[in-house]
Amino acid sequence: MKKPLHVIAAIFTLSALAIGCGSDQATLQGITRESPLTVGSASLPEEFENGTPPSEFTFVAKEGELLVVFFGYTMCPDICPTSLSDFRSALRRLGDRADKVDLAFVTVDPDRDTADKLAPFLSTYATRFHAIRTTDFSLLKSVQDKFLVRSSVTTDETGYVQVTHTGTAFVVDSNGVVVVELPFGIGADGMENDFRVLFNNIENGEL
Amino acid sequence: MKKLGIGLAAFSALSLGITACGSSSETTDTTVAAATETATYTVDGAWARVSPMEATMGAVYLNVASTLDDALVGASVSTDIAAMTQVHETLMNADGTMGMREIASVPMTANTPLALAPGGYHVMLLDLIAPLEIGATVSVTLTFASGGTTTFDAIVSEEAP
Repeated sequence: MKKPLHVIAAIFTLSALAIGCGSDQATLQGITRESPLTVGSASLPEEFENGTPPSEFTFVAKEGELLVVFFGYTMCPDICPTSLSDFRSALRRLGDRADKVDLAFVTVDPDRDTADKLAPFLSTYATRFHAIRTTDFSLLKSVQDKFLVRSSVTTDETGYVQVTHTGTAFVVDSNGVVVVELPFGIGADGMENDFRVLFNNIENGEL
Repeated sequence: MKKLGIGLAAFSALSLGITACGSSSETTDTTVAAATETATYTVDGAWARVSPMEATMGAVYLNVASTLDDALVGASVSTDIAAMTQVHETLMNADGTMGMREIASVPMTANTPLALAPGGYHVMLLDLIAPLEIGATVSVTLTFASGGTTTFDAIVSEEAP
């Protein structure tokens, strides 16, 4: 059973608006869980351009910062650019706080997304980013499991590579806890709202 | 049924919002002779997302309406822009993942705008010959089941106009 995403996004947008209308905007618009995902024990290789050897990246934000984790691929024409553009727009509105938002992009299509492709792709959307890539799919899956993320890469009979992946972005704090999950369709406004709420919490010592 | 009703209402609301937002964009009317009636196509809000460095895929979004009950059955751009052009739909699978599929025909109700918007239908540009630069335009031709076509320019930008 498949549903067009615009319908899902529209439902979500209206839901978010309904929440926003009745509140002081101090509530998170993304998804929170009673038992938040903990991803701080997960790590994957971070790759760099120009042959610099990979280093191990751990999914934990620096103290006082937020880490946003996306799963996607560079040849994605719709979902990934939309989410990352929204992310860029949200950061532009955050002012100085934007410097405290880090981005980790985990490619789900590592065979095609080499390090030399990932870094230029990500530089379109952020000044701070980590290009995360492993060709060990069992390792990738073990990390995805911590985020409850799924992905697949298949090639059809015509040679067309079909990629599917979870479209949610994850905001991780300095304890390695996912403090909010940003579903596709939340948009730049929703992301900006949630970053502001989370930074207020950080500055109030509540996070 | 209830959920479907809400979804359609929400989608309609979103479509209206997109239509309104696209009011500053170029509007193209093309009239063609159909078998029994003449269809007029209206396109507005057409834009293509600027392609990130190294990206070889692109997407064009727009609202299109026909004066007849019709269907969008194809899209094309010059091979100077992209090697191949398809109409795609982004879908959420049962496992929560998202993917795309080429779609052969998108039904259109007369005089009701069909939104091709992020997360839904889009004109997909495969194997871009060169990156899509902000401010450039891409000439796109849509083909309809009634036999008509319409050609319009999509403006390359970071966000929807």
